[in-house]
Amino acid sequence: MGSVRVAHYLNQFFGGVGGEEKADALPEVRTGPVGPGQLLQQLLGADATIVGTVVCGDNRMAERPAETLPVVLGLLRDLGPDLVVAGPAFNAGRYGLACAAVCAAARRALDIPAVTAMFPENPGREAVDRSVLVAVAGPTAATMKADLERLAGLALKILRQQPLGPADVDGYLPTGRRVNEFADRTGAERMVEMLLKRLRGEPYVSELVVPRFDRIPPAPPVPDLGRTTLGLVTTSGVVRAGNPEGIESWRATKWARYPLAGVEALSPEAFTCVHGGYDNRYIRANPHRAVPLDVLRRYLREGRIGRLHEVLYTTVGNVMPVERARRLGREVAQELRDANVQAVLFTAT
Amino acid sequence: MELEIGSFRVRDVEFGPTTALRAGILSIDRRALVAYLLEDRNLAAANVEIARPGDSARIIHILDSVEPRIKVSGGPDFPGMLAPPDLAGSGRVHRLAGVAVLGTASIPGAADSQGLKEAIVDLSGPGARYHPFGQMANVVLELETKPGLATTEAIAACRRAGLRAAVFLAEPTRGRTPETVETFALGPADPGLPRVAYVMPAMSEGEIHTTFFYGRSVQSLPAVVHPNEILDGALVSADYWIACHRSPTYLYQNEPVVRALYGRHGVDLNFVGVLLCRCLITSQDEKWRQASQAAKVCRMLGIQGAVITMSNGGHAYVDQMLLCQRLEQAGVATVLGVDEYADADGADFPLVTHVPEATAIVSVGNQEEIVEWPAVERVLGGSEFLAGNAYEKGFQRRPAEPLSVALRQIYCSTTQLGWSTLRCRAY
Repeated sequence: MGSVRVAHYLNQFFGGVGGEEKADALPEVRTGPVGPGQLLQQLLGADATIVGTVVCGDNRMAERPAETLPVVLGLLRDLGPDLVVAGPAFNAGRYGLACAAVCAAARRALDIPAVTAMFPENPGREAVDRSVLVAVAGPTAATMKADLERLAGLALKILRQQPLGPADVDGYLPTGRRVNEFADRTGAERMVEMLLKRLRGEPYVSELVVPRFDRIPPAPPVPDLGRTTLGLVTTSGVVRAGNPEGIESWRATKWARYPLAGVEALSPEAFTCVHGGYDNRYIRANPHRAVPLDVLRRYLREGRIGRLHEVLYTTVGNVMPVERARRLGREVAQELRDANVQAVLFTAT
Repeated sequence: MELEIGSFRVRDVEFGPTTALRAGILSIDRRALVAYLLEDRNLAAANVEIARPGDSARIIHILDSVEPRIKVSGGPDFPGMLAPPDLAGSGRVHRLAGVAVLGTASIPGAADSQGLKEAIVDLSGPGARYHPFGQMANVVLELETKPGLATTEAIAACRRAGLRAAVFLAEPTRGRTPETVETFALGPADPGLPRVAYVMPAMSEGEIHTTFFYGRSVQSLPAVVHPNEILDGALVSADYWIACHRSPTYLYQNEPVVRALYGRHGVDLNFVGVLLCRCLITSQDEKWRQASQAAKVCRMLGIQGAVITMSNGGHAYVDQMLLCQRLEQAGVATVLGVDEYADADGADFPLVTHVPEATAIVSVGNQEEIVEWPAVERVLGGSEFLAGNAYEKGFQRRPAEPLSVALRQIYCSTTQLGWSTLRCRAY
């Protein structure tokens, strides 16, 4: 491998411009390594050369991202790098967010790999694109040397296209990818060992860390159902007989749209259920148990519901990957929006 | 309560004129075993095959696995299943170590949405290490039930056959001295040691899939169970649902967490007992009640720490996570054993549900990883994959052909009882 070109991103403090009073500093470029870049260059060795450093104030980036990020990106592009390195940002929030944004932009707009380093609780972590590797760093610059060693190690692995080891071995924040391997002890032994560590108050490492999930606040109550256009969505797996759309009984990849105009009821002859995650015999015997069209028709006649959006949106909600569920949800929501549906009866199982 | 488990190590299994154990070789009188099984009038046919480690063999349609055992004192074999539900866990039981009885069948009409799922193992190549049976001699029962039986009755006949065959095969050890004897008793422990329970939710959902505790389905009101009962045949699996995270009878007889806790009893911890619970409870209120009751029992027993496993999947995770939450809220430190649904590329969020209290988790692997298995010379248990698994692309081929299949279909590959060293790691 010949010496490859690395561009480094630093904030105004580590770039030597100044402290908080200079946090509004405009982006500028310096030749070669600056500040922590000096040690980083030593650690990278002869295989990689920090050709330039882009320095920008944290407030400038945080408060005017739309105008600042393209300028930073342009300066980075002009350095012709094979890799962008940002930080370490430690536990500095604005700096962490800036590193995340710069790396994501380098990845997307310049199509070059990017790596940064920050403390696991840095708010910038949440903003990091999955394709950007984040080396673990301490909360302050006190651990600078060790943090730069991890960062340089990862940078070299990326440049040499070497496979990464597990996150806790190679010192980066998990990217969300899980890989099977055979350990040296059984699961049961590890469970008891971990429990003993907990009971003794010793440090232990959970093999799976539960993340924070999106919290979706419930919509406000419908003020007057009698004046509302109601939509009908289900993940119960009720489909037309024969499942002509081929909706999968689990890990479904699609949803179907069935016109309901003129359909008084969902007969077991015309509709069935393909959900593979529960005993669906009772739904197949009477699809209204999952999609209560019979009750809705009565409510419509009684005026208890203003109008029914005459379409049933259906899929199978069973072991569906979260990303896919998001996409399917967005697609159906868009149709409902376009049809001015104001509320949805959403039945699951 | 004291249980002696006497082990007879079996190096190989072969067919012979009588059923006998000589110098580590188990000889099976095939005709006698078949005749014995066919005493069950719900069975139309039975065939017995042997599959050894290293054989180019694939076993499909696996229902349950049982270690050959016979109770030589202190109670009946499989109480509640083959005998009245007397207490298990005392006296002496003989086991054939290194042998498993694998019951297989294809039951017409049972491969529906909630019916039997395909479960396979390979005995050689890369497929041999994902399940407990790649390292032992397997006695495969190929069973056929009488036409016209209700699905539940047909499956019950197959279940009985597995248990009866296990007793039949261990019978020659009666009156003989085992090579090794392990004694299991919860003797007095230093009161300074932490009091630990094993919270064990066993699956029960619907008419077909369940776990029998002395012949009756496990209940959602936690039962305080002596670990010896688990090791001595009180629990029998009737889980024919997703193959990878079934807890088979074999792994109850050799329950990994019970054994690991026993190994530390009186040394690092005080193993107080097992709280047998249910998972795949079908109502939210009942899930709630179970978790609260389990936490109460832990408090009453002065439990400080608990291992919580589970069996099978889907909303069984809800039961497990609720147990974790209630126990943690009651001041009990918990460790969970889970398997993961992280998608074939490992990139999806791996849990069905979770609670913030779940801070100590052991992963027994991602069940969605795809593995490639070569063609095999011999297929046991059936001739076609079960139709109800048609969505699984790997199963659109003939069973002897090369297979590209998720761990999910491999019997016991990610059983949360933690028998295996498989785990999933963050990258």
